Amino acid sequence: MAKENLIPEVDIVIDQEAGVIREIKPEPKLRSKKAHEKRVNGAIYAILIAMSVIWLLPFILLVLQSFRVEYGGQVAYVIPKQFGLDNFKFILTETNFPRWYGNTLIIALFNSVLQTVIVLSVSYALSRMRFRGRKLFMKSVLVLGMFPGFLTMIALYTLLKNLGLTQEGAIPGLILIYCASSGMGYYISKGFFDTIPKSLDESARIDGATRFQVFLKIIMPLSKPIVIYTILMAFMAPWGDYVFASYVAFGKSDSYNVAVGLYDWVNTNDFQGYFTRFCAGGVLVAIPITALFLMLQKYYVEGVTGGAVKG
Amino acid sequence: MASVTLEHVKKIYDNHVVAVQDFNLNIKDKEFVVFVGPSGCGKSTTLRMIAGLEDISEGTLKIGERVVNDVEPKDRDIAMVFQNYALYPHITVYENLAFSLRIRKMDKNEIHRRVCQAAEILGITEYLARKPKALSGGQRQRVAIGRAIVREPQVFLMDEPLSNLDAKLRNQMRAEIILLRKRLDTTFIYVTHDQTEAMTLGDRIVIMKDGFIQQVGTPQEVFETPHNLFVACFIGSPQMNIFNGKLVKEANGYSVNLLGMKLNLDEEKCALLRKNNVSSMDVLVGARPEHMTVCFDNKASAINGMITVNEMMGSELHLHVAAGDSKNTILRIPTIDLTPAQRASLDAGNSIAFTFPTKVIQLFDPATEESLLYR
Repeated sequence: MAKENLIPEVDIVIDQEAGVIREIKPEPKLRSKKAHEKRVNGAIYAILIAMSVIWLLPFILLVLQSFRVEYGGQVAYVIPKQFGLDNFKFILTETNFPRWYGNTLIIALFNSVLQTVIVLSVSYALSRMRFRGRKLFMKSVLVLGMFPGFLTMIALYTLLKNLGLTQEGAIPGLILIYCASSGMGYYISKGFFDTIPKSLDESARIDGATRFQVFLKIIMPLSKPIVIYTILMAFMAPWGDYVFASYVAFGKSDSYNVAVGLYDWVNTNDFQGYFTRFCAGGVLVAIPITALFLMLQKYYVEGVTGGAVKG
Repeated sequence: MASVTLEHVKKIYDNHVVAVQDFNLNIKDKEFVVFVGPSGCGKSTTLRMIAGLEDISEGTLKIGERVVNDVEPKDRDIAMVFQNYALYPHITVYENLAFSLRIRKMDKNEIHRRVCQAAEILGITEYLARKPKALSGGQRQRVAIGRAIVREPQVFLMDEPLSNLDAKLRNQMRAEIILLRKRLDTTFIYVTHDQTEAMTLGDRIVIMKDGFIQQVGTPQEVFETPHNLFVACFIGSPQMNIFNGKLVKEANGYSVNLLGMKLNLDEEKCALLRKNNVSSMDVLVGARPEHMTVCFDNKASAINGMITVNEMMGSELHLHVAAGDSKNTILRIPTIDLTPAQRASLDAGNSIAFTFPTKVIQLFDPATEESLLYR
């Protein structure tokens, strides 16, 4: 046997962090592995492309229809014969749409502030403090969370009606509904807080900070991804809600949010005429959410995965 | 600067585990006290109770003359250095140092003066603008200590501050803590599991086991007059050799039989035994490795055994010897006095004869493991 065959082929890598020298054996059969990888990647990409086409198609159609000037609901072609802003102009001037849009925005903004404060406070308390009934509380919230929210619809409606928070008062009523149960969504942010070493809290407390100062000055800056995730979630939930919004605002057009308002057009006599306008409304509804997502997607991904992996 | 007094302090966790039992200690003003013991002995829990991070289940804790059982950590005027540094990762070193002062709404110029002074003392001035992530372990530990210094607290608490550092850096930082202590001249309470750290740093050492204090004393006291077997074995490295022996009370003194040898005890030991009213009994005899001598000739009056392991430590040899029913007796032999022939005779597998002066031995009751000499 040739002498050089006896020397194992290894790359020596110095791992500076651990301060040790590691041997890395070269991958055997390098070429065939590469070819295999290529095939697998090809298949994955093909599936992903097919899926994105399927997912994106309705949105592309929606956008195209919103710019269509010719009258009619279902048409036999995809690309409009004439592009124009007529639909947008119509819904913004001739209908109650701007009012609905404003309502939704107010609800979503209020909710994103209130809900974020509530969720983060509850999560921090559950993560850091030990008190009687803590575990029982967490478990029962978990079980309660299994039931869909609209099971409480009738009870909530009666409550709100007695408080005068339906129809004309639907907007504060809806904010109340969305915020009231928001503390139940503590899991993800609690998971994130759990990964922040407790000794940071302890150190800050010895340094003279109150619990609230620790939360504000130490925990919050370290939890940017989860704060942004929570704000996003709190903004989106009321933005697209139909079930609660429709019965709390029942019959009062001025109190509708966009989802309820748009659906109202489906029941108009001129269903065919409102089809493209409906699409235009849909596009306008999608804009703020899409913009928010694009701006914050980096944090969003960190937030969703951050709680799970110890960082 | 203040004294710290613990009276009958007890810690029982929610799951009924008793971490600290009836802890009584009076730490004097400007004293450096080290809590040492194996993991789970309650030393960190005690420190955290002093810091206010754990509730005190029973007993009284005083800092100065003030009872602080129910005082929030922030109002106790203490500073603490954590094992994992616990630096705030999102702000710079400067802001880390300034954090506690800003919380106290101190004057900006005064904050700047104190931060710069602390950085100067610890040699971290050039890192002030960096984030903790960009620092090495030793530098982080300095920042953690700096954060405690700027406060100018009454009591300094340190929870295994050197455990995360490598051996060389640890020795260096240990020396720096000694200098720092001279400079600050305040009360220090230091927790470690490393007996070397305890011996070198402490004015007094508190040795703990299973939540109980085993002994409190100066490094010399705990080394020379251990009150029980645990303390004797815990302090000193390599640890004390323990032999089974028989104590015999004779007309004019005491003697010990072990491994076929009869050792007559010196007058001082006899006096202590008499004072404690000890009669003839089985005993555990302790002798430290550094007190052992090899008998190259005159083997008849020595303990004979066989060398199982020979560890060359540079300036000394550690010999592991099997002799009689004692399977692993350790001898620390300085190499400087050995002739080449003598050194060659100490290889593993060779027979050896060794002895030790009776002046330095410790005697323990096998049943209670308490010292028969010091109570």
